[in-house]
Amino acid sequence: MEPLDEDELNHLLRKWEAPSAPPSLKQRVFPAQKPWLSWLLTGSIRIPVPALVVAAIVIALWIHHSRPTPPAHVAAPGSVSLADFQPVQQLQPVLVTGGQR
Amino acid sequence: MTENELKAAFEDHKDAVYRFAWRMMNSAPAAEDVAQDVFLSLLRQPARFDPGRGQLRSFLLGITRNLVLKRWRDEYRWEELNDERFPAKPLTIESDNIAEIVGEAVRSLPPLQREVLILSEYEELALDEIARAVDCEIGTVKSRLHRARENLRRMLAPLKPPNGVRSNHGTVR
Repeated sequence: MEPLDEDELNHLLRKWEAPSAPPSLKQRVFPAQKPWLSWLLTGSIRIPVPALVVAAIVIALWIHHSRPTPPAHVAAPGSVSLADFQPVQQLQPVLVTGGQR
Repeated sequence: MTENELKAAFEDHKDAVYRFAWRMMNSAPAAEDVAQDVFLSLLRQPARFDPGRGQLRSFLLGITRNLVLKRWRDEYRWEELNDERFPAKPLTIESDNIAEIVGEAVRSLPPLQREVLILSEYEELALDEIARAVDCEIGTVKSRLHRARENLRRMLAPLKPPNGVRSNHGTVR
């Protein structure tokens, strides 16, 4: 088979066209920076699960320890408790007669 | 190099870098990855470009070439970059799309012949610029370019128009 001549080859090579760079290339090279206010409203952050668990435990402990302690139970004045009274073990009656003292 | 100069360089050369990578690798995602790496390399180390040694375009195409060949070596570890015994047989024409056939022929050339052909024919770099981009002597560039064209003339012989009649419609007649 007879090979192409130079002109024929040049003509054919021109037929193979390549696409231009896609628009996404610019975004990949120069990523747009969001304003911080926009980031606060729409941004997101990634937190490792162990760090999240530790933070949750620390916050729970802090909340637990910062609660005000309840006051010790004090009997309301005017009320009498009979709880400490014991029955008498041995009666020792003493007769008191008139004139003696 | 200021940020504005870098952005201007990107706008001026992004198509050449992407086209070269695309023609070398025949993959749009891979070409985009390589083009991104080329410009990130310039952003990180702009001082690597020395205007006294040549144009920015050939410098960027040189980085593109190195990244493409690195990928090629990862994929085809045992194949030679410049196979002198490359069998340039006439292609079996299975498609009527001339662009596809020409692309297939160019992509089947050994990488060192393919790169000089693409830089010369499609990016229209001068021989000294190609030599700088592919890091070799001008004589070597000439030799590779000659072999590449010889191989293509044989491979694309089935597309030779009968009696000098040439199709201008992108299909084989």
